[in-house]
Amino acid sequence: MADPDTIPEDVAAAELALGLLDGEERGAALRRVLAEPGFAARVEWWRLRFAALFDLWPEHAAPPHLAARIEASLDGPTSAKASRFAWPALAAITSAIAASLLLFVMVRPEPTVPVSQPIPVARATSVLVAMLGDAKSPVAAVYDPANGALRVAAGPGVPDARVAQLWVIGGDGVPHSLGLLSSRPTALAPKGVDRGRIAPGATLAISVEPLGGSPTGLPTGPVVATGVVARV
Amino acid sequence: MTITHLNADAARAHLSEVLLRTGQEDRDAFRELYSLTSAKLFGITHRICGNAQAAEDVLHEVYLTIWKRAGAWEPGRASPITWLATIARNRAIDWQRAQGVRRTSPLDDAPDIADPGEGAEAGMLASESSRELIECLDGLEPQQRDAIRTAFFDGITYAELAIKRAVPLGTMKSWVRRGLARLKDCLDG
Repeated sequence: MADPDTIPEDVAAAELALGLLDGEERGAALRRVLAEPGFAARVEWWRLRFAALFDLWPEHAAPPHLAARIEASLDGPTSAKASRFAWPALAAITSAIAASLLLFVMVRPEPTVPVSQPIPVARATSVLVAMLGDAKSPVAAVYDPANGALRVAAGPGVPDARVAQLWVIGGDGVPHSLGLLSSRPTALAPKGVDRGRIAPGATLAISVEPLGGSPTGLPTGPVVATGVVARV
Repeated sequence: MTITHLNADAARAHLSEVLLRTGQEDRDAFRELYSLTSAKLFGITHRICGNAQAAEDVLHEVYLTIWKRAGAWEPGRASPITWLATIARNRAIDWQRAQGVRRTSPLDDAPDIADPGEGAEAGMLASESSRELIECLDGLEPQQRDAIRTAFFDGITYAELAIKRAVPLGTMKSWVRRGLARLKDCLDG
């Protein structure tokens, strides 16, 4: 376990860009991406550099039937695809946490909205959840790909004249804003591009920003909570 | 070489145009994009996923993502094939890691990735920046180069690399870190 401080910034950025890190090391590097725009830029630089290796990647003809299958599914959620495209082995513990989170969110709705309609079981399989922060004061986020709604529990407390901003970091390692949170539960409707980024394994993070949100398009303030998206 | 460049530039310009039209939800463009790129992207998902069925399912998801996100591609930022290939690699890695299984043995049917030099064939992908990276990788010690290339092409982590090469994790990390530092110097030089 080398001390991260002793690793040159560029080497640390390259490690993340190449996908060498896992577990807590990856989490720490992603938090650094969020907290340091300069580091985020180095990760992006490396990512584009390593992309040169795609030139060497041998081609392999896709099965002939696949084109039609893909095209048939362009118009919307396809039940055929959903059933075939299972992500079978999410660690049991993740699922358990995710399931309890869903419960947590369901039993702590916005106070103004009566919860008389339980979510049908069939729907729950397609819902994605993330728990941001620690176990003591988690911020739960539930995303329903079917309608694009992202519900987030009350955001963390922030100083006056500051606001909590929610980000998604997918495979590209770059934070993309999903919107601003408040001290009450928030319903966000991410843009089409960002919807695709909220996928199992992606990281959600909350940073503290000036009112109106980050002026740069990347997090500028401290990151106060992160969590990984999992399928329930 | 000049002809190669011209062909590469023309192919890249054409692919850019097809991707832009795909971003406007043009289905004909999407079909053409698929026929131009599916062999490359399937090569990526197939190698990383390690089996044809998973590679096919991941490729399906990749093209759905491309269909939804093509409008967000910024022509100045990454070449079209880089953008597409990155989506495929990331999705395949997400899938592989969601399996919770460490893949440390080589795939039976995965072709070897060509060595630098012989693999940099003409085509839409040849570019100055890729030659530069490949030359700089070539300048590294063999262990360093092998580890970095394997991490890229197999989509695996330090821990998996260490097992695959049967060296302690710390050793693998220091090989790679020294290699990355030298790579940076070479690219800056």
